[in-house]
Amino acid sequence: MEKGKLPGCVLTVMKNLNLGAILYIAALMAYSLRGIIEEGSALEFLSGISAVPLEPWKIPALSVCLCLSILCIMGVQSSGGWHLFGKVCLEVVLGFAVSWLLGFSYTGIVLLILADTMRYFPRSRWKFPAAVPICLVYLLLDYDLLSAAFDVVPLTAYMEYFQSRPRGIFLGIKNMLVSLNMFVFMVYMVLLVREQMSEKERILSLNQELNRANAQLQEANHQLEEYAKEAEKMVETRERNRLAREIHDTLGHALTGIITGIEACTVLMDVAPEAAKTQLKAIGDVARQGMTDVRRSVKALRPDMLERFDLAQAIENTVEEMRQAANVDIAYCCSTDLNCFSDDEEEIIYRIVQESITNSIRHGKAKHIQVEISRKYNMLRVFIRDDGTGCKSIKKGFGLSHMEERLGMLHGSLRCSGDDGFKVEAQIPVRWGTEEKND
Amino acid sequence: MIKGKGNINYILGAAGVLLLLAAALIKAVPEGGLLPGSRKTITVGVFSDSYWEVPNGYAYRILEDAIEIFEEENPGVQVEYVSGIMKDDYSEWLAEQVLSGTVPDVFLLLREDFNGYAEQGVLMDLSELAQQDPEFQEDEFYSSALLAGQYRQRQYALPYECAPRLMFVNKTILDQENLGIPEEDWNWEEFYQICRQVTRDTDGDGVTDQFGVVGYTWEEAFDSNGVTLFDSDGTECFLTGNRVETAIRFIERLREIGGGTVATERDFALGNVVFQPMLFSEFRAYKSYPLSVKKYSGFEWSCIPMPAGPDGGNVSSLDTLLAAVSADTRHRQEAWEFLKVLTCDERIQAELFDYSEGVSVLRRVTESEDNLRQLIEDSESADTLNLRILSDAVENAAVAPRFRGLEEAKGEVNRAVEAIISSDTSISTGQIIWNREINKFLDGERL
Repeated sequence: MEKGKLPGCVLTVMKNLNLGAILYIAALMAYSLRGIIEEGSALEFLSGISAVPLEPWKIPALSVCLCLSILCIMGVQSSGGWHLFGKVCLEVVLGFAVSWLLGFSYTGIVLLILADTMRYFPRSRWKFPAAVPICLVYLLLDYDLLSAAFDVVPLTAYMEYFQSRPRGIFLGIKNMLVSLNMFVFMVYMVLLVREQMSEKERILSLNQELNRANAQLQEANHQLEEYAKEAEKMVETRERNRLAREIHDTLGHALTGIITGIEACTVLMDVAPEAAKTQLKAIGDVARQGMTDVRRSVKALRPDMLERFDLAQAIENTVEEMRQAANVDIAYCCSTDLNCFSDDEEEIIYRIVQESITNSIRHGKAKHIQVEISRKYNMLRVFIRDDGTGCKSIKKGFGLSHMEERLGMLHGSLRCSGDDGFKVEAQIPVRWGTEEKND
Repeated sequence: MIKGKGNINYILGAAGVLLLLAAALIKAVPEGGLLPGSRKTITVGVFSDSYWEVPNGYAYRILEDAIEIFEEENPGVQVEYVSGIMKDDYSEWLAEQVLSGTVPDVFLLLREDFNGYAEQGVLMDLSELAQQDPEFQEDEFYSSALLAGQYRQRQYALPYECAPRLMFVNKTILDQENLGIPEEDWNWEEFYQICRQVTRDTDGDGVTDQFGVVGYTWEEAFDSNGVTLFDSDGTECFLTGNRVETAIRFIERLREIGGGTVATERDFALGNVVFQPMLFSEFRAYKSYPLSVKKYSGFEWSCIPMPAGPDGGNVSSLDTLLAAVSADTRHRQEAWEFLKVLTCDERIQAELFDYSEGVSVLRRVTESEDNLRQLIEDSESADTLNLRILSDAVENAAVAPRFRGLEEAKGEVNRAVEAIISSDTSISTGQIIWNREINKFLDGERL
């Protein structure tokens, strides 16, 4: 609204200017006509023209009426379409009538109509189709051209009444008004165009902003893609770790059992061939179990025991297997119900037990292993101790660190000690809230 | 907000339409305001003196009688006229009325003004009124007189009175020279022979004192040789062609007769010239003018048609005074009725012979016995004026040009003819050169 103010003002100036110019010319005509009648040169005047002019008083009265009528119609705000078309047509017809009244000596009113019409076409592609017919009317409104078709009295005929000096002044003022009107029209058009240009510039800057945002978005997208790639790599790494763990847990476990079993066999072979045979059978079982574990790992990467049995059963089976395969005395004691854990908890409990026994047999050369699973409030305690060699300083191998890592995932903790044999103690917070019932 | 805007739109639209209506109303405002008076009033535009440039004591006499007849036939309708306008000022007065929008409903119209006003739409087209009116009979009028009121085949005015141009003959000289009065269908050659025979020095003082003709100009020669000099709008001149050339040659020959000595009108008044072309009105004024001493008392005279040229007939131009109705009249029918009283009523037309010098435009009136007797009384001798000659002259007359600036154009043609005659180059070359000149002049006249 604020923006359209300046052209609006110019348009108002132009309207007043047109009214003034028309009134001036009409008054000039009426005055000279009155003078011609009073002076007695009516016959001479009539001889030089091809039409009879209107009565002196009618010329200004009619022009002002028509001109005001045009201005009123111009003030009617159109909503466009046929309404606008009709409005402009009516204006042009009335403008033509005014021009006719003034002997086609003033055509500026058509410029006013053009200027007013252009208001309705700020950006539309209809601007030129609308402007061209009005411009054509403006071009055609010329006395010399139209006197062939319309019998009108030219302004020059009226002006003959005046002496050359006042005639020059009066015509000069008229020409000045015409030029001024033209000038104001041009100013109006320039303002209108400039306003539309600034509008365009605004749109352009908005576009640029949009482009910038777009670029940023693209960059973010790019980064996101990189993140995704990285994450993928991390997943891959983790998966690789997991795979390594699986191999260690299953194949390592089985192989340890087998190696220990075979070592025992070599001793037994000579002493008690029958026992060796049984031992070998157990070793075969362990190997087969390991084979199945590997297959299963490959397939689902999930401990097979857990797959087939519940946690308690799986631990018992494993303990039993180890007992037989490695010929180690394993005491297993479980003081709590183990059937209430989720898969990941089950898996980690199982793995801790399995890993610890394996470690004890493999590294500690233990003969006795004690496994305790107990629960105090919502903390599950897995405790494994052996009578093996232990170790002065614990080097966390793959198995231990893996265990720790896994416990960390469950917010649990791991404690190891190698002073008197080897002790592993894992604390796992129980997520499942049924401890009251079981305790 | 939107509602307020809509209201403003309606108000502005209504104002625009109202102003338009006001404009239409202003445009349509007739003379004398919007409200019709209680009585219908018809205004008439006339001049007070005679159309025929002759002092006339009967100003408004015929008009008054016409008004009386009209008001009797049309009770409730009043006729008004402005008195005191002289013929010389009449054109200007009428032009002022036209410009002021106060044109009388019915008005007399000078010949020169006819074309201009017909073209400018000041005159009402009477063709349809005339056709629809069973009382109106076109063939009662002399056709040439009726033609004078036509513009582009439409009747814009009716003739009121007219006067043909006739040849005034001094019978006394012809008797002395043992020559008879020429026949009515005489031609240029006979005219030339008579002139040649009578032109001489009668008292032997070495100066030619008896002449053949005075006042016979190219106008008479052109008319009787079938020349149409201008187009109807006065935009073009036709000075080229054989007929014009023949006419100019004839004028040249006539002038050579006296050895260069030219007679004056005074010579004719003194009875020393045989022929002088004269409007019938002039002739009547001189004869029947009751207040003055008779001008041509020393000789006997008569009048006959103009001599015919080789390519024309015994034709002269007819001067016509027209009456028309304003195109803006509010009383169309009443104005037409009054116009009919002026032009078609036999009582009024007969008065022309009493109170004016012109001839009635109605055949029946001009050829009536009463009027014949009247004219004979005026002219003192029965054979002076042959009414049939008069009637034929009107009937066969050429319609004179009726555009503004006619007098100026004639002046130009006069200059051209004089120049061609006095020039050494051939007449046809002169004709072409001057034709172009006059056309240029006519073009400039009309702007």
